[in-house]
Amino acid sequence: MEPVVVAERLSKTYRLGEHLRLEATLRTVVRRTTKRPRLEALHEVSFEGYTGECFGIVGSNGSGKSTLLQILAGITPPTSGTMTVRGSVLPMLAVGAGFHHELTGRENSFLYGTILGLDRQVIERKLDDIATFAELERHFDTPLKRYSVGMQSRLCFAIAMLFPANVYCFDEVLAVVDGEFKDRCLAEVRALAARDATVFFISHDLEQVGTLCDRVMWLQDGEPREIGDAESVIERYSRHVAAVPEA
Amino acid sequence: MIWALAGRDLKSRYKQSALGPAWVVFQPLALLVAFTIGFHSVAHVRTEGVPYSLFALTGLVVWTYFQAVTMSAVGSLVNNYPLVRWTACPRIALPLATLVSNLPSFAIPALAALIAAGAAGFLTIQTLLVPFLFVWLVVLVAAVAIFMSAITVRARDVLSVTPFLLQVMLFLSPVGYDTSQLSPVLRALISINPLTGLIDAWRWSLLGIKPSTAAVAVSLALTSVGTVVAWWLFRSLEVSMADDI
Repeated sequence: MEPVVVAERLSKTYRLGEHLRLEATLRTVVRRTTKRPRLEALHEVSFEGYTGECFGIVGSNGSGKSTLLQILAGITPPTSGTMTVRGSVLPMLAVGAGFHHELTGRENSFLYGTILGLDRQVIERKLDDIATFAELERHFDTPLKRYSVGMQSRLCFAIAMLFPANVYCFDEVLAVVDGEFKDRCLAEVRALAARDATVFFISHDLEQVGTLCDRVMWLQDGEPREIGDAESVIERYSRHVAAVPEA
Repeated sequence: MIWALAGRDLKSRYKQSALGPAWVVFQPLALLVAFTIGFHSVAHVRTEGVPYSLFALTGLVVWTYFQAVTMSAVGSLVNNYPLVRWTACPRIALPLATLVSNLPSFAIPALAALIAAGAAGFLTIQTLLVPFLFVWLVVLVAAVAIFMSAITVRARDVLSVTPFLLQVMLFLSPVGYDTSQLSPVLRALISINPLTGLIDAWRWSLLGIKPSTAAVAVSLALTSVGTVVAWWLFRSLEVSMADDI
């Protein structure tokens, strides 16, 4: 079977510290510039994602999970290596990216939907579904600044679920919603994969990753330590986490 | 996308504001009053037989829009940090949306100038060029908007420099005066400013005041070259905006 996503030896390097400062500018004028240290957020990461699969990514903070999905979504280019994606990508990498706090839930649905690339008519037809799914019928005409974080995240998720894509990326977006809604979201995510999409899922909730995902990649310091079936990778990862408590 | 973002900016701009959209009228009106006092009553600027207020108002058609768009475009990318960092939305839509959301800043002085010029009997056949002059204005402002917004992603200095640059520009553009009264050297210098030829063209179209052909040519040339340069710059900085912002 042809993979939908192919990552080949992806590396991503960032410069550490502030990009521009008066002190640094003066230094450049007077003498030579001081070299800023670099950080290799990803180092030669290769993997493949297939149709109908849920691909989990686990790892400690700063292991490169989010950077990887940013590259997958085409938001940032890799420093070296290639990322090939067949089809469209829906990135859901941060709750409320694209929301405006002064606008109502309804207005934000149009805005966020458009940012994702949905047609106005499609959003209009689905407005009621969005409100129902997010359980926000009563608050749909309230400005977003009066919403709780959980409510924003429900709205965000409800809109994104309407978007037909080949590849979905979720980065820790269910961390702040309550149990019952979370279960419905997880069922929806599972349904996406059942409809032949490819789902990439980042979470620190290992139980969640375990039940949702088919395969899991364990990233450590920007390098894939293991890629394999969800159960065994998570088992080894959780033993590793228990042995080396995160700093 | 551009429309959705512009709609967001328009809707949110005057929320929790007592006078709301009325501010679009006050800003050019205040400048008009200030110019009439400064250039007309104090400095006695000559205006080729056109009432001074109408003369200045025509200059403000260009200036108010230019200023409004520049002010909002400069921060259009950095103020939308989450969009740039976490979504794949086309980056160029952000500065371009400010062209749309600030259209009232053009429409109100433009309508006022058209009506006043019509009532005073200044309109002629060249008034039909207004749509072309509008497109010219939009293209010039768009070039400035995408250029400044892209640089701001790398260097926030643009944010500090813009308000002060606009203040200087206001006096180095013939918004409140006519370049024909200047010395040839000064006139040539002021004509390097692309707004000069554009304002001249608007005055010719609405008031029949003869424009400086050189200034018009310079402005048209700078508008085209500037657009290409701004587009190229934006394209080359766009790739890494999520990292640089």
